[in-house]
Amino acid sequence: MQQFLSELLPNLMRRTPEFWKAICDTLLMEAWAGSICFVIGLIFGIILTVTKPGGIMENRPLYQVLDTIINLFRSIPFIILLTALMPLSRWIMGTAIYVRGVIVPLVFGAAPFFSRQVESALAQTDKGLIEAALSMGSSPLEVIFRVYLRESIAPITRATTITAISLLSLTAMAGAVGAGGLGDFAIRYGHDRNMIDITWVTVILLVLAVSFVQWLGEMFARKNTH
Amino acid sequence: MIELTHVVKNFSSPDKHDASKSIHAVNDVSLKINDGDIFGIIGFSGAGKSTLVRCINLLERPDSGSVKIDGTEMTQLKPKELYAARRKIGMIFQQFNLMPSRTVFDNVAYPLKHMPKLEIQKRVRELLSLVEISDKENSYPSELSGGQKQRVAIARALANDPTILLCDEATSALDPQTTGAILQLLKDLNATLNLTIVVITHEMEVVKNICRKAAVMDHGEIIETGDVFEIFSNPQHQVTKNFVRTTSNLSKIENLLRENSPMVQVKPGEVMARLVYIYADVSDPLISFASREFDLVINIILADVEIVSDIMVGGTVVIFSGDYAKIQQAIEYFKSKNVRVEVLKDAAISE
Ligand SMILES: Nc1ncnc2c1ncn2[C@@H]1O[C@H](COP(=O)(O)OP(=O)(O)O)[C@@H](O)[C@H]1O
Ligand SMILES: [Mg+2]
Repeated sequence: MQQFLSELLPNLMRRTPEFWKAICDTLLMEAWAGSICFVIGLIFGIILTVTKPGGIMENRPLYQVLDTIINLFRSIPFIILLTALMPLSRWIMGTAIYVRGVIVPLVFGAAPFFSRQVESALAQTDKGLIEAALSMGSSPLEVIFRVYLRESIAPITRATTITAISLLSLTAMAGAVGAGGLGDFAIRYGHDRNMIDITWVTVILLVLAVSFVQWLGEMFARKNTH
Repeated sequence: MIELTHVVKNFSSPDKHDASKSIHAVNDVSLKINDGDIFGIIGFSGAGKSTLVRCINLLERPDSGSVKIDGTEMTQLKPKELYAARRKIGMIFQQFNLMPSRTVFDNVAYPLKHMPKLEIQKRVRELLSLVEISDKENSYPSELSGGQKQRVAIARALANDPTILLCDEATSALDPQTTGAILQLLKDLNATLNLTIVVITHEMEVVKNICRKAAVMDHGEIIETGDVFEIFSNPQHQVTKNFVRTTSNLSKIENLLRENSPMVQVKPGEVMARLVYIYADVSDPLISFASREFDLVINIILADVEIVSDIMVGGTVVIFSGDYAKIQQAIEYFKSKNVRVEVLKDAAISE
């Protein structure tokens, strides 16, 4: 087996420690940036939903500020965000390189996207359910947790899947500025040194990862649809 | 007791720059609903019924006016007090509004979360058996029929022992048979729990079936209010008349008249009239008595008996023929006996 793999993937097999490191870096970026995005996006999505005109905690100024900020960050290409946020990253994380250094730009790149996704997931909640909950004496906070979030598990799961996948492609881009990870690995060897086997394995790995995330999300969403 | 006094609710118009176009959804409505009543609010779509009923539990905050429930001014309550007050006012909807991700049990348990778990279970089972749907405890709303969904919604609305139940078009999405069953359930709940029920509807049939008192709403205003059989047997306002006609067989005469059917031809000297009276059993003796007394032929061409809030309301369309002066005397006689007479065709005048 070892023999066979070495013949099929000569370049990769000579760099397995580096390859594992790249996988770990990608997973680390995905996990850290993903978790932070999830929390921030959920909070922003909820705030957008409840403060918008006609919402249960209507607040025009807050809505408009948040809405504008999100639009602003969504319109900036990620590769520019990466370099523009370096000072901020240095200030918050102490560095602008390695995995630690790209968490901040990754969050800025993906959280606005996820916030919008959450907003549109929550917008699918039947207004009648909100009304019924309020008529039963639920406070706005209860409506958020017991109706909006609870009834939107499936669409939020799908939004999470989409964001996780798009975050994966952002981590690959982040590799270009010295974050490491699979993207960086594939570019440095697969592209720069023309090691085709490394490109292929990376691609296959990423396709598998995306399919797995999609499958997991779909399973979970379906389990929560009645 | 629910007391609305000079309640006003406007909505800003879609055209933000023209305040004059704001919608007067509820326009100076005052209304008293007594404990234990089944009170109907009827009106055409857009009349402001939903807005008005939502002012009762302050889902819609009135622009001005007072909303008192058992003496408590609802508009003055702090948020926490308002949430507590709403628990004592159940509400059900046309679209049922059950939470799709929760089972029947969990839907009914939704408003009970302050209770210990075992008590919740006991209370939910009690409620489900009250609305006769115990066997669906573990089903999801998507697995239920419309009538079953509304039963679950009623159970949920009653979870915290409210004294008031607001029904916003609660049967409008149901077929006539299911409507009947749900209305019967509401009637029973009114009797067994002494529940005050406010029924919003655009169907006279519903009001006729379960309400004792009703208000007719049009363009944000209450245009007529009183006992249902009064409204039914003696509608004052044109809108009310239209509603009454939608359910009465006697309204068919309008169609016949419009089509100029052979059934409704009157010969010179004849008068066709609609007679409406409360208590149908008085009808026949009255007509035959008048016929003998005034020496007239009174030909009944349509007859109808309605049961309105458990009171019989009868109506007939008749053609009087005979001496014209005697016909007028007979009409006066009917009026003196509390029969409402509406002359539909008078050959002496139309000729
Ligand atoms: N949230 C709202 N914003 C603006 N206009 C509304 C709103 N709710 C109701 N209206 C308007 O108020 C009027 C009364 O509506 P509604 O109370 O729903 O009537 P009904 O229940 O009798 O059909 C309608 O003209 C409707 O368009
Ligand atoms: Mg309505």
